[in-house]
Amino acid sequence: MAGRRVALKAIDWVAFAERVPPNQRGMFNALKTRSDAISAKLTSLPETPAAIDWSHYRSVVAKPGMVDEFEKKFKALQIPEPVDTQTNAINAQEAEANKSAAAYIEESKGRIAQYENKLDKFKNMIPFDQMTIEDLNETFPETKLDKVKHPYWPHKPIADL
Amino acid sequence: MLSRLVIVSASTAAPNSLKGSGPLGAGLVQASRSLHTSSQSLAPVPPLPETGGKVRHGIIPEELFQMLYPKTGVTGPYMLGTGLLVYLLSKEIYIVNHETLAAASIGAVIIYGVKKFGPSVAAFADKLNEEKVAKAQEVKDLAMTSLTQSIEDEKKEQWRVEGRSALFDAKRNNVAMLLETNHRERLHMVTNEVKKRLDYQVALQNLHRQMEQEHMVNWVEKSVVSSITPQQEKESIAKCITDLKALAKATQAKATA
Repeated sequence: MAGRRVALKAIDWVAFAERVPPNQRGMFNALKTRSDAISAKLTSLPETPAAIDWSHYRSVVAKPGMVDEFEKKFKALQIPEPVDTQTNAINAQEAEANKSAAAYIEESKGRIAQYENKLDKFKNMIPFDQMTIEDLNETFPETKLDKVKHPYWPHKPIADL
Repeated sequence: MLSRLVIVSASTAAPNSLKGSGPLGAGLVQASRSLHTSSQSLAPVPPLPETGGKVRHGIIPEELFQMLYPKTGVTGPYMLGTGLLVYLLSKEIYIVNHETLAAASIGAVIIYGVKKFGPSVAAFADKLNEEKVAKAQEVKDLAMTSLTQSIEDEKKEQWRVEGRSALFDAKRNNVAMLLETNHRERLHMVTNEVKKRLDYQVALQNLHRQMEQEHMVNWVEKSVVSSITPQQEKESIAKCITDLKALAKATQAKATA
């Protein structure tokens, strides 16, 4: 029974918690409690079991070959390490999540570019008290009066005044 | 003040704005195209002046006084005005008749009205304009703040997405911990079982020995008891009685001594 590799990566739960959006906080809490339970269980078990005092048993037990036989079989016993079935699935999930995250970031960047365009338009606008009606119609096309549809003043339905 | 009225009419979305858009648009476009050949450009429109040109006594522009000041000093334009008036009256170029009185009365009323109500009307027109501008400004400010807020939110979401690797690390950790726990449990189980077996053997042996011991003791006792004959019993009782008497004497002697 050899000792075990400790392949655990230290997780900064505080930083992780900061990045969780509020609508997923419940899932995060569930994950944390589960992880804490598992790690508590792990730390409560000592790494190697207490050694068996063979000499004591040899002196006490009357039957001659029994202790030796036990000792031989015990030492020869190999407990196989449990098979890891989930890590591949998790890796696949992670790859997929990375892909969707990249796509989301692209979209987000596009949205940011749009917002910044609009913001620049507002920033570079001439102040209202220096605008003419033409300038107003250029900056805000929705203010343009449709002279074709309503040829007579006030060029918009009376209800909109 | 007149300029304010002009602004009000322009901002009520009437087609006759200052820059000639509207029915004059077609003709003016050609005219402005040829105008644009000069180096001056019309856009962006310089802001309209806040107040009109300075005037003295409500009608006469200040520029006249400034123009005549070097030659005739301060009183020059007044002398010019008085002389002009006297000349018109005396030469009967302007004849005083009923119309004069009517004009004087109407002028007085108009001047009184403007002086009294002018500022309030101006303020009212200004307020209307201010409200329009303020509304538009509000819309603009709201739009700008919401856009900056949206940009902030998007950046925050991107930052959140960056933390996704922690989730998968946590999952893998959990899996590794579970496997390790399982392995250790198995080790412990094996050791405990072997120990239990050996302890059982030891306990079994001890029990055996104990039982043999007890049995032997019982048997010895029984045989001893059965071997005591009645004769021996009587003898041992008599001996005990004499021993007791001697002991009593000894203690009595000690007590009195």
